[in-house]
Amino acid sequence: MKQITLLTILAAAAIALPLVIGENPYITGILISVLMMAALSSAWNILGGYAGQYSFGHAAYFGAGAYTTLILLTNYPTLNPLICMAVGIIAASIIALITGAIVFRLRGHYFGLASIAVAEIVRLSVLNFDFTGGAQGILLSDVSLWGLDLNSKNPFYYAMLLVLAVTLGITAYLRTSKTGYYLQAIREDQDAASSLGINLSFYKNKSLLLSAALTSVLGSLYGLYIRFIDTSAVLDLRLSIEIILTAIIGGVGTLWGPVVGALLLVPLAEMLRSNLLGDALVKAGLVSETSALGIFLKENLAHAHVLVYGIITVLCILYLPKGILGLFRRTK
Amino acid sequence: MIQHLLRISHVSKHFGGNVAVHDVSFAVDEKQIVGLIGPNGAGKTTLFNCMTGFFPVTSGEVIFDIKKINDLRPDEVCRLGMARTWQRVKPLGSLSVLENVMVGAFSVTNKTRQAEEIAMEQLKRMGLTDYASKSAGSLPIGLKKKLELARVLATHPKLLLLDEICGGLNHTETETILDIIRSIRQRGATIVFIEHDMKAVTSICDRIVVLNSGEKLAEGSPEEITNNPDVIAAYLGGGHHA
Repeated sequence: MKQITLLTILAAAAIALPLVIGENPYITGILISVLMMAALSSAWNILGGYAGQYSFGHAAYFGAGAYTTLILLTNYPTLNPLICMAVGIIAASIIALITGAIVFRLRGHYFGLASIAVAEIVRLSVLNFDFTGGAQGILLSDVSLWGLDLNSKNPFYYAMLLVLAVTLGITAYLRTSKTGYYLQAIREDQDAASSLGINLSFYKNKSLLLSAALTSVLGSLYGLYIRFIDTSAVLDLRLSIEIILTAIIGGVGTLWGPVVGALLLVPLAEMLRSNLLGDALVKAGLVSETSALGIFLKENLAHAHVLVYGIITVLCILYLPKGILGLFRRTK
Repeated sequence: MIQHLLRISHVSKHFGGNVAVHDVSFAVDEKQIVGLIGPNGAGKTTLFNCMTGFFPVTSGEVIFDIKKINDLRPDEVCRLGMARTWQRVKPLGSLSVLENVMVGAFSVTNKTRQAEEIAMEQLKRMGLTDYASKSAGSLPIGLKKKLELARVLATHPKLLLLDEICGGLNHTETETILDIIRSIRQRGATIVFIEHDMKAVTSICDRIVVLNSGEKLAEGSPEEITNNPDVIAAYLGGGHHA
């Protein structure tokens, strides 16, 4: 009961948030990024956290959704964006099925390496084809759905929130179902799992497909939201890694870990990027603006968010191997 | 002709130039307990791996319930009703004891609640009920072996392959496991089990198959085996009377 109450309050707060902050595109933009990273990381978590298959190539599915949607809409502007999203899911599923057939023969580190290779193949192909816009990317001038004002950020806030809720719902259901137990068994010991009647390749592919489809929906939404994509924005290895780090720092294989990770990391990255952290240090009088350190911070901190991610990850692996949520979990 | 539950027919397994198992044949009838013994490196575990789909056989056939199964995957073999335990136990470490056994039970049901019931029943039988919510990785070895047995029994196997289920256990623990095995047999299960402990084997098996250097050395009742001079020489050591 307590959990349901808590969940209701949380959901109500998330729904009311844009109304409270009013028309503030900057803050709404950050919130959308938080929701998107939380959802991406949750989708990754189904495969990486529960089935234990660390995919380093999830950008491929994100890019498949984004590119499919924008290519379709630039060629057929009257098409319903939701149909484009569905086609994106099909494209991502095809990539997932091919990936699964190849890389699930491999175990452990080899699986991770092979998943990078597949994602890089997708990225380089997109970069070199003409219909994908190559290195120039794709610009979508206008988009409409049900008369919504898609120049406003609020529809995307709610869309991301919905996908996050669906992803968390699926994860919560999985945890108490046969499939969820089977995925965890595969994560713990593949030989034991297979000797207990678990068809390894079927369940790995099932979780990959589910994970890829959700990731692709988020890619489509992102494409519609930003309306300009290129390979460095939606197909980069950096994106795949940010998705994983968010899960690791929040708590891999837990329901809320990815959400906690995104709530921490996305605003932190934003603060670094916009130099809020450096400014805050100066304002607090800790660092003088004209001192060597102050100038150094101003010039470099904005580029340092990946470095900070790295440092946090190392600290997490050393001191919080089960992520932030691991701190609050009862030890059995 | 009598229908055997399991028939191993001229099975060989080579790893490159190494012959791990060579031309081994034997059969197991329903409700029998058959012991598979032999010195270290005799090919016992390799044979288990060939029987359960973990290794492809180099030549020969494994017939279970009139079906040729040596081309099947391990999970298919399990779902046909032949399940195994592991010599080096393989607990699903971060899952609870109950959840470990539920994973086994899911091969006979799709419903979580039913899997939980089956699992609780098996835990009760093994005396593991108090540990149900403990993480499997934290159990001591004796309890891990029991967990391994509970988990495989939850798949409701017709034929159970036990790989040194008493290995590393003290005398009391071994006796408990043997009692459990006897009670499983009374319920109509068939068992093939690999064991080093001669006393355990002779006290519980109907028949014994002896492997040595990958080949079948002898087969017979416990008395025949303990009096067989070849077996005594190869396995028990020359001049030793068992």
